[in-house]
Amino acid sequence: MSVAFLLGAFLVVLGGICDLFGAIGLLKFPNFYVRLHAATVGTIGGAVVPLFGVSMLALGAGFPHRYAVAGASFITGVIVLLVAPAGATALAYAAHRSGVVEWKPKVDHLREARK
Amino acid sequence: MQFGILTVVEIAFPLYLAAFVIYALRAVRGPTVPDMILAVDCMSFDIAAFMAILALYFRSTYLIGGAVTLALWAYLLDLYVANHLARGEVGA
Repeated sequence: MSVAFLLGAFLVVLGGICDLFGAIGLLKFPNFYVRLHAATVGTIGGAVVPLFGVSMLALGAGFPHRYAVAGASFITGVIVLLVAPAGATALAYAAHRSGVVEWKPKVDHLREARK
Repeated sequence: MQFGILTVVEIAFPLYLAAFVIYALRAVRGPTVPDMILAVDCMSFDIAAFMAILALYFRSTYLIGGAVTLALWAYLLDLYVANHLARGEVGA
């Protein structure tokens, strides 16, 4: 029962809870731009946190190739941490640019300033 | 050791499986294309994390390489769909 095991178990279970909350938010929120918020909870909280937790757990495990599992899951966590916000930003830009998603803002200062 | 890795993984399994079902529901039902792509994107990243957890469960290293590839593939899907929506083509 080492510190790495306890921290890794906490991170994996916390990641599962964040993943479930992000999924429920993605199902229940009304609009695409509001759903992006829940998607952030689902990717960063639901993928990066348990990947770091898996690397901690694998460091404390006993099977033969544990360092390979730990290092590769840490690398995957860093990749997801860098890549998920970039992809979500590109998707939001494209949705706003193409006008696929309808949105009715109460105040649009940018459009008023451009008139 | 009473409270081992297998216990942690078995606690985490139902949370992830329920989340996958809800993401699939949104991906099928999403009213617009960005909603579907966002749901598939979240599901891919979470399947990458789930594959790492499964690698712990099965004590094998073969699933980890798939996790790295799946994360990068989800990013590529995002960029291609964003290009297609913004410019009408998937060119460079």
